[in-house]
Amino acid sequence: MIAFTDIVGMDLAKQALMLLAVDSELGGVVIPSAVGSGKSTIARAFADILPKGTPFVELPLNVTEDRLIGGVDLEATLATGTRVVQHGVLSKANGGVLYVDSISLLDSSAVSHIMDAISRGEVLVEREGLSEVHPAKFMLVGTYDPTDGEVRMGLLDRIGIIVPFTAQNDYRARKKIVNIVLGTRDEEDTRDELKMLAGLIQAAREQLPHVSITSEQVQALIQTAISLGVEGNRVDIFTVRAAIASAALAQRSDVEEEDMKLAIKLVLIPRATRMPDREAAADDMPPQEEPPQEEEPEGEDEEAPADTPDADAEEEQKETPDMIEELMMDAIEMELPDNILNISLASKKKTTTGSRGEALNNRRGRFVRAQPGEMRTNKVALIPTLISAAPWQETRRRDSKMAGRSKTALLITKDDVKIKRFRDKSGTLFIFMVDASGSMALNRMRQAKGAVASLLQNAYVHRDQVALISFRGKQAQVLLPPSQSVDRAKRELDVLPTGGGTPLASALYLGWETAKQARTKGISQIMFVLITDGRGNIGLQATFDPNAEKIPKEDLEKEIEALSLSIQADGVASIVIDTQMNYLSRGEAPKLAQKLGGRYFYLPNAKAEQIVEAALSF
Amino acid sequence: MSQTETAAKKTAAKKTGAVKAKEDATVTTAPEAKKAVKPAAKKKSGLAFPFTAIVGQEEMKLSLILNIIDPRIGGVLVMGHRGTGKSTTVRALAEVLPLIERVEGDTYNRTLEQYLEAEDGKKGAKALDPNTIRIEKIPVPVVDLPLGATEDRVCGTIDIEQALTSGVKAFEPGLLAQANRGFLYIDEVNLLDDHLVDVLLDVAASGKNVVEREGISIRHPARFVLVGSGNPEEGELRPQLLDRFGLHARIITILDIAKRVDIVKRRREFDEDPDAFMKKYNREQQKLQKKIQQAKDLLPEVTMTDAVLTDIARLCMNLGIDGHRGELTITRTAYAHAAFRGETVVTMKHVKEIAGLCLRHRLRKDPLETLDAGEKIDRELAKVLGEAEAV
Repeated sequence: MIAFTDIVGMDLAKQALMLLAVDSELGGVVIPSAVGSGKSTIARAFADILPKGTPFVELPLNVTEDRLIGGVDLEATLATGTRVVQHGVLSKANGGVLYVDSISLLDSSAVSHIMDAISRGEVLVEREGLSEVHPAKFMLVGTYDPTDGEVRMGLLDRIGIIVPFTAQNDYRARKKIVNIVLGTRDEEDTRDELKMLAGLIQAAREQLPHVSITSEQVQALIQTAISLGVEGNRVDIFTVRAAIASAALAQRSDVEEEDMKLAIKLVLIPRATRMPDREAAADDMPPQEEPPQEEEPEGEDEEAPADTPDADAEEEQKETPDMIEELMMDAIEMELPDNILNISLASKKKTTTGSRGEALNNRRGRFVRAQPGEMRTNKVALIPTLISAAPWQETRRRDSKMAGRSKTALLITKDDVKIKRFRDKSGTLFIFMVDASGSMALNRMRQAKGAVASLLQNAYVHRDQVALISFRGKQAQVLLPPSQSVDRAKRELDVLPTGGGTPLASALYLGWETAKQARTKGISQIMFVLITDGRGNIGLQATFDPNAEKIPKEDLEKEIEALSLSIQADGVASIVIDTQMNYLSRGEAPKLAQKLGGRYFYLPNAKAEQIVEAALSF
Repeated sequence: MSQTETAAKKTAAKKTGAVKAKEDATVTTAPEAKKAVKPAAKKKSGLAFPFTAIVGQEEMKLSLILNIIDPRIGGVLVMGHRGTGKSTTVRALAEVLPLIERVEGDTYNRTLEQYLEAEDGKKGAKALDPNTIRIEKIPVPVVDLPLGATEDRVCGTIDIEQALTSGVKAFEPGLLAQANRGFLYIDEVNLLDDHLVDVLLDVAASGKNVVEREGISIRHPARFVLVGSGNPEEGELRPQLLDRFGLHARIITILDIAKRVDIVKRRREFDEDPDAFMKKYNREQQKLQKKIQQAKDLLPEVTMTDAVLTDIARLCMNLGIDGHRGELTITRTAYAHAAFRGETVVTMKHVKEIAGLCLRHRLRKDPLETLDAGEKIDRELAKVLGEAEAV
């Protein structure tokens, strides 16, 4: 067992958890981090720094709805003959920590229930004849690998702290980690350090009510939130709380600049939707379409801590609100190249986590109704079973007495057993991949946009979702992650750059990744809709390395073929729509369709409706 | 282990509560006595943030208030950005609601007339004497429908304990019964499961909940103001359900810094000492409650001229709104709005202020339309008003 104080690196994550330990009203901490960076170790070690006896409940990803919210306790109910309630995981975490590893893989109904519990501070159990309220006020700690997909925004919004994405630790730190794992550290040291830390946190908790923050400081934090384009007003409360908790940890009674910087770093920057603009335009939030900043010139110390020494000189002067704002901007800009928008843009390299998607389980999803069935292979629906047994109790009791058997509270036969029928989300995910290169790109983009919007208009009927990937230049890009929202699609697809090379392989790869992520979230049917002439000219390597050399045409084809086979093997259906005029076509698009095991449509000057028709006809 | 023990205790406690209620009921109605009467009032949890302390978001607040004044408006859908106080506001509503009269302990919150009508005709029952039935005043109920609710708890089902112990098929009312004559609130309504949406659509259309399952057949009144909230980016609402909502309030992130500072301050004050905070707003809460009650009383006296009605019809026609629910909603909402202002004649000024709320979600959706629905309504409104002035 590795203790909290033994963890090397991940300083921001540690700071974040300490703030949470000081003020549980911060709601929680989310730690996105690459595989093997120790994110789950640190989360589990969090229990070390909390007061003794604080509940720490780990939520398994495959949790069922009734285990999450609570429900009827089967055994106890059968034994007593009266309804006995079993508390769910959410209420077991009451007053403590709910920890979710790989929180981005949690299915959407579980996420909804967690969100609901957080916003109420309790769980309403209205199911299977039960009507109860269980307290469920907990801190949510979630860790995930961004390559597995994103955490739902609605959930992130209710969690105070999001640790900026961290890649691997440097080698010195790694060496220390190895030492600890091998057990070379002195246990006594560890114990003392932990004791000290626990004391520090206890002192900070006591200090918390005595920390004050000025109106100007609150104003500066809010101004920062606005200029970063952070949605909602709840975040202000989190930012202020984080700053205060930071001051309490330092045993101060006033919030200082460093507290505010930390709060900005941990609460606001990870939610930024745009680069800060000094003119602080208060217009609508633009799409997350900022080109990456120019590389910083080499040589400077890259990991400079938050407080810059040159800021000290200015600190002497009286701080006006304007000045605070300036300082805030400095703090942000310094952090920007590393952190901004990092959560979603984290390295998309191939992971070896395997295909969890196959573990689709018919025993999960929403419990819809009960029906007769086998007890062994299914989940028993208790109440309906009891209902069907109820009318026979007296006769059965008589019979069993006559047969000389012992008296039991309830007599249930096989015929009474009712099982639960679940319904999984059964919609299809349509992944549009649109060739945005070359001269006809604008046309194709318009058609695709229309088709996306039109599919979404009807999406609610089948619970369908639509994603859109555009490919041009060096690599493909997910413009619209799987979504059911017309509003979101409209916003994200507003500006679509076109022109450049044709990285077809990159598009297929990204589409495949999107498909795999969707599978983990319970969407089983996936269809690729490729709108292209099928002529790729950029290799997959360019996706990860912009300086990759050009590769010969044969290799390109091999790459596409390999990808296509894997995609086909994964059970993804495909259609290829060629909108090019005939005399230009050289037959690549039909070939692509063949490789993918899909169908080819030739629709020159296609209208959006025709594309939708083609997609739905399959 | 201890978990289940306490749970068992709780259940037991609940049961005695039910039995007690049953005994009470015996005083007035013999046939009712056989049914398990569960107390409708739920355990109250924590103090809600006061309605009058909520900063900004006037559109949402007005929509809710107008629905209290006239529940026939048909509810509110509140859609918008995350973290803007949607559910806080709806949950704060309970504190400013007026009182209603119901038959004492009635699970369906029925009035005396409704009660007599439903119970008196029952076969085999003695004629009821209205004078022996006690009446009580309760606050308009606000019922929370959680996403994870199962159909049996929403509609009601057979009372399993009674079925097992005494073999009696008794009906155990669900959330729809509790919500009768009150508010039914669904947070994240766009994520509600389809089969529950079906149930809601049925009940909202007929005002009755019909239960035909597990060998019981029951129908009871279920008229409620449907309030839903959600974030449009999480998913779309089914059009039939969208259409059911009388008003559609939009809510966006407040960008005014002074207001935001105020929000933070109030929230912190509330968190530090909820009781003191409630006390501070007590007066305003009562004032609002009184104002709403006055508007409710004034409503029957409010009138509207034919000219205004014609303008409303023309507005809806010009906007190409299908059906007549648009006109109907505008008219009712305008009446309520006038009453809330303390005025007895509806003018186009009132209509103008609520037209967006009533029509925003009824415009035909064109996926490539860039013009905001609100702007479109304003434009047509200006046209109609211009015409009206010219006449």
